[in-house]
Amino acid sequence: MKSVLVVGGGPAGIAAARALGRLGVSTVLVEKDGQLGGNPIKNNYHTLIPRKLKPSQVIGPYIKDVEQNPNVKVLLNTELTACEGEPGDFKVTLSNGEKYNVGAIVVATGFEHFDPRRKGELGYGLYPDVITNLELERMFSVEGKLYRPSNGQLPKRVAFVFCVGSRDRQLGVTNVHCCRYGCALSGLQGSEIREHYPDVDVFCYYMDVRTYGTWEYPFYWAPQEQYGVRYVRGRIAEITYSPADGRLRVKHEDTIVQRPAEVPMDLVVLVLGMEPSPGTKKVAKILGLAQDPDSQFLVPSDESGSNIVSNKPGIFIAGACKGPIDIESSFSEGEAAAAEAAAFLGAKVTV
Amino acid sequence: MAIHERSLVEPERILRKERLVVDGVDVSGDWNLIIMPRVINDYDVDFGKDVLSQPEGKTINQCYQCSYCTASCPVHNYWDERYNPRHFIYLARLGMIDELQKRADVMWRCVSCHKCTHRCPKGVLVEEVLKAILKVMAKRGIIEEYPSKKFDKFFTESVLEYGRIEDGELLFGWIEKQGYNVVKDPILKKPIPFVGETPEWLKDLVMKPIKSMNIGFLVLNAKHMLFHPKTKNWSKFKQVLRKVMQEEGALH
Ligand SMILES: Cc1cc2nc3c(=O)[nH]c(=O)nc-3n(C[C@H](O)[C@H](O)[C@H](O)COP(=O)(O)OP(=O)(O)OC[C@H]3O[C@@H](n4cnc5c(N)ncnc54)[C@H](O)[C@@H]3O)c2cc1C
Ligand code: SF4
Ligand code: SF4
Ligand code: SF4
Repeated sequence: MKSVLVVGGGPAGIAAARALGRLGVSTVLVEKDGQLGGNPIKNNYHTLIPRKLKPSQVIGPYIKDVEQNPNVKVLLNTELTACEGEPGDFKVTLSNGEKYNVGAIVVATGFEHFDPRRKGELGYGLYPDVITNLELERMFSVEGKLYRPSNGQLPKRVAFVFCVGSRDRQLGVTNVHCCRYGCALSGLQGSEIREHYPDVDVFCYYMDVRTYGTWEYPFYWAPQEQYGVRYVRGRIAEITYSPADGRLRVKHEDTIVQRPAEVPMDLVVLVLGMEPSPGTKKVAKILGLAQDPDSQFLVPSDESGSNIVSNKPGIFIAGACKGPIDIESSFSEGEAAAAEAAAFLGAKVTV
Repeated sequence: MAIHERSLVEPERILRKERLVVDGVDVSGDWNLIIMPRVINDYDVDFGKDVLSQPEGKTINQCYQCSYCTASCPVHNYWDERYNPRHFIYLARLGMIDELQKRADVMWRCVSCHKCTHRCPKGVLVEEVLKAILKVMAKRGIIEEYPSKKFDKFFTESVLEYGRIEDGELLFGWIEKQGYNVVKDPILKKPIPFVGETPEWLKDLVMKPIKSMNIGFLVLNAKHMLFHPKTKNWSKFKQVLRKVMQEEGALH
């Protein structure tokens, strides 16, 4: 039987490869980085929504399964460079020069974080105490402490600025979508700060709070009810620095009070949006996959009804390469894509 | 009866009666004061539609109330917090006429710096939308024509006439409108800058930059002020432009 190529070794890709391996389908998994696990592992996420587990707890078992399954061949530091042939008989070329014949392809090339320098008025790169939520995750997970980069001291006040690089036409048509994870992660990060540093006040600046489904209680109600995180309705329009007291000012309209506000903060956390990764755009070109004309995320075919079947027969798409999504859903999509790919090859599965 | 939180009750909602009879019962004395409720009873949705149909108002429905505009607005931040572009857009879309009316005294204060439009994450042309709101309010007699509008008209006329902005005529024509005695040349009947009465502030304003200006530029400016150059073939284009602007309702 033909084998399957999985492109991308993030949550969606490893879930696909793991499922294929367990189904007895011979699988090649290519990952352009030097390790598996995608963005959550690469960027040292600290605690994951929604189950408050560590990435090693959630993603670790998947990585182990993939590495130990004899049906799965993992190629790190490798990318897809060309694809010829037809559905059921693709001839793929990889960046290491190897060529494979595969019957089906799963694309799971994921997302990249928005670069906050593109919103100059928020002062990222200019003021050291304006950081990203990724950097805050790193503070927790790698450095093990909360501090102001300007002086190494504990901040008295922390502000979260929601929707940076999301829901924003000022950046063009590409960043109109909502990031889906930002509100919930901020609720969690805010709670963690309050739990470990009860003297630090935390403020979340929002337009609306999107903690959908079962995320409402743990990541919106609990931060307020249990941890005393405060929410202010207004989008931060400008961040400035006052040399007089060495603190930042977050400028906004408090839309509930209807007054201009420039409030002092010691640490400001920008909640970053998600964009399709460069790898996603590249692979879309190589394989001729349909992309959303605005965001450039991959879009499924209209005919199949399924959201993981691409416009090209034999090619399946899973995870954040199609738009913002959480890790557990990325797993599920990877597994669904694996099942579709196996069915496409006519695999006879015996358990 | 005393009102305990006076600050929450606008004076126009307080009704005081010497004698009050409710359902045939005389309740004068302690019960002679009524506070009218603040309940919003309805929306005048046609107001929002009217704004949308103005050429400047086309983007009003793109607003999602984030308030980047208001937070960036110098008038809101440094002059009067009641000047609030986000809030005006909200009120206009729902058609809360009485609330707009309450703010009529501040609504024309926009200085057209366009910071709001530049930053709006939804692509609302905020400054233009506010002009559209004012236009509809004026049309309905809710607000008086705002002072800066008079200058806008004068400005538009000047551009329509010459296909460009002619500083001298624009400025001194405007000054004449303010009641100053301006000297005009006998042939073209256009004001000759700085020859007649000139307000002190203008002399100050002009003298400062003139000192550091390049002489060629000064001569060119003086020439333009006297001979009013027009854009080539402007008169034909002018007719077309006027017609289009009239049809679009953009000429007031
Ligand atoms: C700051 C932040 C915090 C988050 N926190 C959480 C959380 O707590 N809980 C949660 O559920 N979700 C969270 N998310 C969302 C989560 O990161 C995504 O759901 C998840 O990473 C998507 O997995 P993926 O495999 O689709 O994509 P990715 O994680 O982006 O993985 C894609 C992989 O493909 C590789 N790749 C790309 N192009 C190529 C190519 N051409 N060839 C080979 N390999 C390629 C990349 O190197 C990468 O390893 C968070 C997101 C952000 C931004
Ligand atoms: S999830 Fe929250 S922070 Fe992220 S774009 Fe949506 S509303 Fe903004
Ligand atoms: S910035 Fe734009 S979207 Fe936000 S409140 Fe102002 S007009 Fe509305
Ligand atoms: S153009 Fe007017 S409304 Fe907009 S920011 Fe400037 S003053 Fe405020």
